[in-house]
Amino acid sequence: VKLYRKEGNVVHVLSFPNETVEKGDYLLVEDNEARRGLIAQVIDVQFASIPGVLEELLRSLPDGGDVIQGQDIDPLGIAPHITYIQDASLLVCKIRATVENKNLSPSSSWLPSRSRSTVRKLSLPTLLELAKINGALPIVLGGTKDRSLLTIDASSLDGRLNIITGKKETGKSHLSKLLMVNLVSYKATVVVFDLNGEYVSLGMTPDGKRNAHHNKIHVLTPSQNFKVALRQLNLHVLLGILVHALHLPGTSAREFRRIWQALREKDALTMHELGEAIRNWNCNQHVRDALFSRYHALVNSGFFTDNIAEATLLEEFSLKAREDGGALIINLRNTSAIDRQIVVEYLLGRLVESLTSWKLKAVFLFAEEAHLYLRETYWDDIVTRMRHFGIFTTFITNQPDTIRENIYRQADNIFLFNFTNEHDLDVVSRAARVDAETVKSIARDLPPHYCLALGKVVRDFPMVAKVKALDVKTMGETRLFFKEANS
Amino acid sequence: MVIEQYPIAATPKYNFPQSTMETMLPQHFIELSIYSLKHAQTQPFQLNQQAFQQVGDLTECPQSLRLKPTPIRLNPKQKENVVAAVDTSTIKLGETSTGMVIAVRGANVWKQSGKYRYLRFGPFIFHITEENKKEVFNTLESAYFSLPYGYNHHGAPGFLQMPTRIAALLERWLQAMLSKTLENGIILFDGSLTSGTPDSPVQHLKGILATARKKGNTVLAFSKATSIRVNGHLITDLLPEREPPYLLETTGLKLKPPLVLLGDMYVARLTKGNFAFRLDIDSCLTPELKIDGVERLLGNDLLYQSYPETLRLAHILCTFTANEVLAMQHFVACKHRLRIVNRPDMHRILFGPFGRGESFS
Repeated sequence: VKLYRKEGNVVHVLSFPNETVEKGDYLLVEDNEARRGLIAQVIDVQFASIPGVLEELLRSLPDGGDVIQGQDIDPLGIAPHITYIQDASLLVCKIRATVENKNLSPSSSWLPSRSRSTVRKLSLPTLLELAKINGALPIVLGGTKDRSLLTIDASSLDGRLNIITGKKETGKSHLSKLLMVNLVSYKATVVVFDLNGEYVSLGMTPDGKRNAHHNKIHVLTPSQNFKVALRQLNLHVLLGILVHALHLPGTSAREFRRIWQALREKDALTMHELGEAIRNWNCNQHVRDALFSRYHALVNSGFFTDNIAEATLLEEFSLKAREDGGALIINLRNTSAIDRQIVVEYLLGRLVESLTSWKLKAVFLFAEEAHLYLRETYWDDIVTRMRHFGIFTTFITNQPDTIRENIYRQADNIFLFNFTNEHDLDVVSRAARVDAETVKSIARDLPPHYCLALGKVVRDFPMVAKVKALDVKTMGETRLFFKEANS
Repeated sequence: MVIEQYPIAATPKYNFPQSTMETMLPQHFIELSIYSLKHAQTQPFQLNQQAFQQVGDLTECPQSLRLKPTPIRLNPKQKENVVAAVDTSTIKLGETSTGMVIAVRGANVWKQSGKYRYLRFGPFIFHITEENKKEVFNTLESAYFSLPYGYNHHGAPGFLQMPTRIAALLERWLQAMLSKTLENGIILFDGSLTSGTPDSPVQHLKGILATARKKGNTVLAFSKATSIRVNGHLITDLLPEREPPYLLETTGLKLKPPLVLLGDMYVARLTKGNFAFRLDIDSCLTPELKIDGVERLLGNDLLYQSYPETLRLAHILCTFTANEVLAMQHFVACKHRLRIVNRPDMHRILFGPFGRGESFS
């Protein structure tokens, strides 16, 4: 391997066929005299521009497009040298850091000697050690190409905004489960908006037995084992549901506030009493109609109950989770779009309450396909306000354009699976923590279950790993009609 | 002189009907190539990619040449015949402190049963110095043309002529092999049938043509470029307005001794378009056989821009590409430890941006 060119933070390295370097590999360009080195990552492998190659190829196909048959008497054995030169490749590498006395700095402003520099592959364990990607709370993401383990530190997810994205069936949910399970094992509180009921069996082994996490996984299905009573709610949480999820106009919201206060004074905060109060309230007929339609939406969701014994006490979970950690899986699988928004509004409102009153220290929120239930204004809340309350969100999506650009810009960590669509890659490449070329070049060639980790978890050294298997019952498989015929 | 024997794989023979004559790969080419390189080891090696142009008919001085105004009409003959062609090429790979490193390669291409086949020899790499040039040339010449060592009265060529002379030796050997092995075929040479030049001694070429005739072959030599003129015009420009294919016969060509033309010279316009070439046909053939040879070529080979495809392929296959030059430089550097150095370009040093001399050509 030979250093060929440096332009900005890109170095071009010449590699020969006997050297196996692939996309994603790290190289160390060492200038021993300068006592410094550049750490560069291969983002593309191209054919080196060897003069005469076109003539060489054309020469082999002159017979009407067929390869001309013949024999070469090559007594000196030059042919292997021709192949050697012809197959030389050019490695396009992005400079990630300068290493000097085992210390890393992000600089790429110096120029190593082309003649003196040596270029060698940097193994991932060495890089992890140099970059100090280790810590007291290790999470093994999976195996790397050179058969070492890619281990990140759980604290690098703490207080961070994360995105897990990739094409369908590439392993996004699997990774989010892995992160979740590991966070729970470090006594963190995790809340999951489970759109497809994929997380409900996390407490089970693949053969249906209880696993080590069983006691920490709590699955709540709205209107089944997850109901709330009005008296458990604060007015602003319910108003949030009415205004944001059910689009109640401002005038009607003001009337509702009065009705609520009246019921509270009478200590009659039940769904039945609320219905009666709206019916008998002295107000404009249009306002009453608006309130009634929302009231019926609440009743029909089945999420609200007057039976306090039926109501779920989130505080109980909060208390448990505060001590030992745990995951609250909100199973939204059979919940309608409106009901989903009601549940999410309620839960986020309650979480903020719990966090504000320090009943919870912090929550790791995993949101799958969040655009299906998260209201517009929450996106900004999540990257600004919620973070200060202690809600650290991980978005999981296979449609990267459903996440706003400002979320990508502020994302601290991105776990990227394969994408081939140029538009999808364009969206993801807007992330601030990595350059567009790296995203586009490496993500396009990732095999299924391989993930490109970007951001603080890998100290801005993009790394590829095959996400490790989990000892849990996975539920994210696609249901197939021809499954038996194909098996 | 003791030449170290290197293990070299058994050499295949042509697919043509075999004669009893020796058609083995020029062993001396290999031995001399390796021997000369061994003596160049550890020398600094200055890269150079300047190609040598083989001298065509520039040495000829046609004074009384005439071009017959009536063209000879040609009718392609479809009866199957093997068409074979020879070409060689040489290139300078670089300079050492005592000489230069050159590469030579030759190719035979033939068309049989509608398919093209080739046999390519080389590349052979030589380290040529003032000291070894005579030895290298005379050894090769005496080995391949059964001539006594130092037979050629021209003696060893000048140092700068060595690449073309070694290539010419290989070419003559390949031509000799074709003339011995092919029967009733058409043999295409690149260049003219002029002999008596240092590259082409009369006896060599006479022998080759005689052998070819004995085997029923017709030798046709195509010159890609000619400087021969009639009334100040290049002979290939004086084309009558007739439907090709046709030949224009020349008369009255007298060459200055020691040059001897062993063929009769024609201008061949074989396809539509304004391309025509000088064509030399073995002069010992009867006029009918000469025309018959060209007509059989027309019926058996593809002709594009008046040039036979077989000869074009021979040229293409032996020409060195830049990639191959790099590979050979890599070979001599790796295998024979020739140290590659970059000597300063004097044009650039002396004249700066105005120094657009040879290095930019």
